[in-house]
Amino acid sequence: MPAAGDAAALPRARPGAPGRRGLWTDAWRRFARNPVRIGAAATALLIVALSLLAPLIAPARYDVVNIAEPLAPPSPRHWLGTDAIGRDVLSRLLYGGRTSLEVALTVVGLGVVVGVPLGTLAGFAGGWVDYVIMRLVEVSTALPGLLLAMLVISVLGSGVGNVILALALAAWIEPCRLMRAQTLALRDREFVEAAWAQGATTGHLIGRHILPNALGPLIVVVTLNIPRMIFSEASLSFLGLGINDPLPSWGKMVSESVSYLEVSPMLGIAPTLMIAVAVLSLTLVGDGLRDALDPSKDQGL
Amino acid sequence: MTGRYLLGRVAGLGIVVVVVSILAFALMHAVPGGPFDETQMPLPPAAKANILHKYALDKPLWVQYVNYVGHALRGDFGIPYQSPTETVLGLIARVWPVTLLLGGIVVAISFTCGLGLGILAAVRHNTWLDTLLTALASLGMTVPNFIIAIWLILILSVRLHWLPTGGWGQARLLIMPVIAYSLQPLAIVARYTRVAVLEVLSSDYVRTARAKGLSPARVVARHVLRNACIPIVTLLGPMIPDLFTGSIFIEFTFRIPGLGKFFVSSIFERDYPMIMATILLVAVLWSLTYLLSDLLYVVIDPRVRVGARGR
Amino acid sequence: MVARRYALLALVVILGVALGGHALGATMNAVGKPLPEDAAPPDQQVITGLTQPATTLDFFVGVYKRPQNIDGNSWSDILSTPLVRLDKNFDLVPGAAKSWDVSKDGMTWTFHLDRSQVWSDGTPVTADDFVSTFRLGADPKYAWDFAWFFGAIKGWDDAVKGTIPVNQIGVQRGADQYTLVVTTKTPAPYLPGMMLYSPPLNARALAKSGPFYNNDPKTSVSSGPYVLQEWTKDQRIVLVANPKYVGVKPYIQKVVLKFADLKTEFQAYVANEVDVAGNFSPADLQVIQFSPALKTQYHQGFGDFRTHYLGFDTMNPPFNNLKVRQAFSHSIDREGLIKGVIKQQGIAAYGFLMPGFPGSHQDDLKSIQSYDPAMAKQLLAEAGFPGGKGFPKLELWLRNERALGQAVGNAIAAMLSQNLGIQVDVSNRETKLFMDTLNSHKLQFYMVSYGMDYLDPSNMLGIWISGGRHAWKNDQFDQLTTTASSLIGDPQKRTAMFHDAEKVLVSDVGLIPIYFATPGFMWKPYLKGDALTADKIGVVAWHWPGWDGLSTLHESVYVTKDVSKFPRQ
Repeated sequence: MPAAGDAAALPRARPGAPGRRGLWTDAWRRFARNPVRIGAAATALLIVALSLLAPLIAPARYDVVNIAEPLAPPSPRHWLGTDAIGRDVLSRLLYGGRTSLEVALTVVGLGVVVGVPLGTLAGFAGGWVDYVIMRLVEVSTALPGLLLAMLVISVLGSGVGNVILALALAAWIEPCRLMRAQTLALRDREFVEAAWAQGATTGHLIGRHILPNALGPLIVVVTLNIPRMIFSEASLSFLGLGINDPLPSWGKMVSESVSYLEVSPMLGIAPTLMIAVAVLSLTLVGDGLRDALDPSKDQGL
Repeated sequence: MTGRYLLGRVAGLGIVVVVVSILAFALMHAVPGGPFDETQMPLPPAAKANILHKYALDKPLWVQYVNYVGHALRGDFGIPYQSPTETVLGLIARVWPVTLLLGGIVVAISFTCGLGLGILAAVRHNTWLDTLLTALASLGMTVPNFIIAIWLILILSVRLHWLPTGGWGQARLLIMPVIAYSLQPLAIVARYTRVAVLEVLSSDYVRTARAKGLSPARVVARHVLRNACIPIVTLLGPMIPDLFTGSIFIEFTFRIPGLGKFFVSSIFERDYPMIMATILLVAVLWSLTYLLSDLLYVVIDPRVRVGARGR
Repeated sequence: MVARRYALLALVVILGVALGGHALGATMNAVGKPLPEDAAPPDQQVITGLTQPATTLDFFVGVYKRPQNIDGNSWSDILSTPLVRLDKNFDLVPGAAKSWDVSKDGMTWTFHLDRSQVWSDGTPVTADDFVSTFRLGADPKYAWDFAWFFGAIKGWDDAVKGTIPVNQIGVQRGADQYTLVVTTKTPAPYLPGMMLYSPPLNARALAKSGPFYNNDPKTSVSSGPYVLQEWTKDQRIVLVANPKYVGVKPYIQKVVLKFADLKTEFQAYVANEVDVAGNFSPADLQVIQFSPALKTQYHQGFGDFRTHYLGFDTMNPPFNNLKVRQAFSHSIDREGLIKGVIKQQGIAAYGFLMPGFPGSHQDDLKSIQSYDPAMAKQLLAEAGFPGGKGFPKLELWLRNERALGQAVGNAIAAMLSQNLGIQVDVSNRETKLFMDTLNSHKLQFYMVSYGMDYLDPSNMLGIWISGGRHAWKNDQFDQLTTTASSLIGDPQKRTAMFHDAEKVLVSDVGLIPIYFATPGFMWKPYLKGDALTADKIGVVAWHWPGWDGLSTLHESVYVTKDVSKFPRQ
């Protein structure tokens, strides 16, 4: 008999309407109700689209140099001005989005794909499985990414793929620990026991009870790690361990803009704003997703 | 949480330290280059051989490792190439307190303000205040601290002449580094807190408590914080050792003689004793942090059984 | 009447005392040096600067670990006096050695030391100090990081290898304890210039406290213009004028060096926290340009005659083909680079020796690697890659460049793409990864720089002799350079041979020179002195190597009363 304190779990165990399709259409309706969320989703999609379509819509290629026009302020020809060797900032911003999003989303995605199952396994199985996985986590945390990146680049060379490799080696840690904590917290609750007694499979337990609870913090981890990865890639590239010039990325553009802060602030403002807007819209979308997938969360206190 | 479990965890710490030391040793020697400089001209083979011999780098790797472990067990972690007039332990003992002080202040500020703002945003969920705070937190998370640092120097030092550009030793020299260093952690803490609190706020037992007539503040204090704490502890725990090991950007830009810069400079200088020391320090710190957070889980929610076998 | 006479007398006496006293009792600083009329009071004769983290002040302890900043501004070697020093005209002037002469065969140099020199512990500076210092540098057990430098000295290389004992190298005491005899392997007319790098260590302190005796005021011993007062690790070094110094005592009686990352040097300068600054970012330069006050404080100099150039692996395809290298050499618009990117930080380079450096004859070389895109395309086609087709994708490696270097590298890559149709990526590598690959001759295409060590073509051109750091070999060049380096008795022929050698280097495209650095340096208007006035060709600079034991800069610079106009924080 579930205790009153565990009643929290019960509403989630029941879909809002008969059949799975009903859950999603309900979720969509809830999501669409909030104009801020819609705006955020639209912005996120716009940024992704702009980045993907960069070769088609950018005024120039990202590597077109014009040393006669360095550090030009915004003008009709160059909407965001030019950088130190006359490259169009707007074009580099659009192309940069491709690189940054590619690296950040891949790394974070890999981190989730590897970390979530590992963490759930660790929390669910406990015992020596948990022990081994956690020791693996601790070893991975201690090894410095800089050193790993230097090894990767001296052996494999530079390039987007190698940057992703160097960064992904640590990206799985946070999702893993988060899922483990959530699993541990819920594993031995009575409602889980009850469902187990009723013959629910492990998959059902994880999918219905544990994952939805972890979704919120997981989304925050994802939205936090995206800018982190953007800047990790930038610092690696800054040290010659990442992506070669002239291929731009938002993080690289921000790092390079530091030397020109006082005279061409646009060089730094443009990519920083892009990153901030991208992160903000992804954050709001993520929040909205989490809210939408759980109907009991519409109100605050 | 049995004594046997704790023993197992302490043994785990030892295992991790050993594994990390082996991997770190192999990794740092696998990277090309060495502690010698060849910026102008390459060293003739004889000169290079002399240097390698002096640092005992010409022995086989496993011999070097065994020597290192032997010395380390006696408390001798070697002499840093970057500072040959002191020992590794002496160097760390000298610079770490500086970083700890700065880190401690940053932890205090970012955690208290972040927790407060996060709870506020969660409690005012779906209002303009929530969206504004979320937007500000996103900005705080994405603007890198070295950019904030440089802007602070440009405005407060160069233009307004209110503060010196950097240095260590006076309280007012802490102002700019603390601001630049805490904005990002503050934003992160606020975000995680908000989401964790939200997870719990609208759950039934909270609604039950409200229905019973408890004030919002008491509900928050008694139920929400307790249950939201687990993900908070999981994700924010590691931020603390992170802040306590310092940021090279902040320390370099503000001329702070702390430990942060050595994590990067040791690698670039191929300062092998310091590389090992910094990596081992991180390993121990993080393992302890994870252990502490596991213990905290049980304190927060006694239903959690860490270490017990599950399904 | 009597009263008035007494009053007049009193007036005369008072005036006399005032004037006479003023002339007699000119203010003196802490080491007894009379200060000029317009000088600030002695306690304000302080100079403050920033420096990169350093492990030692001494050349023979660790060359690359001294407070020696990029662009060649150094604060090192100030605790002893080398045999010779450089003045603002880049001329050698006597230092610890009052005079020197050379034997007829050009291989034995005798340095006559200044007998009045003493260490701060009271003992005299003798040839033995120099002998033991050089022996330390060659000692295999000591494993000095600059051991390649003195290969010209007889027996040096063998001592480093360990095949002869260090006491047999060609640096010995001469007829008495104030005579130093240096013997070279082959005639080396440039040896006095090389002896710029001879600041001695104190043998007794070395034996007692080890090579880092100058890191602690308690064990530090100085025979130079300053002594160590304080060394707070990772924070600051404080030097004060040495009362026992027998050379030209400095006006500046205190030097404060703060350890820092030099990116914020300009900001610290504007905030009046330091008196000098270099290391300007492009933004800093722009701010200086548009500020009338700052602009007058900015001075461009020669630095260390640093040449920035592109290099190749000429042993392997595609750069083993001369036509390919020639095509590349005609594709770089140096003038455009200077105008658009480098601006006042450099001048176009068509040869390896910078105008102003002995033996430089750039005008004769300008046409060899001229900017000619049409010819470049034709040459590339002749080499088998018409329009760049079939040419492998290139990665131009930079050595840990800051903003300017990265901009130049990217601009060059773009020029090559545009003019030759070749794809060039740019990778700004970490220093040791770069040098490791370069020195093992595996680096295909790179941009790097070299700054002189001493003022003689044998130094700059010598690095191109095969077997060094470059994957390029040209027997004619090797022969010309090696012969000219040891040629004595015919300076004109020597210079002509160096000219020819440089021409071979440029014609065979062993390198593509891009620009000679003309680093800018700023010092506050209240710093004055003869060293800060124009040199013999009219250049005003904080001349290389800076406030350093190897230069004479510290002999004439002082702080004027204007310092009160620049309040500190």
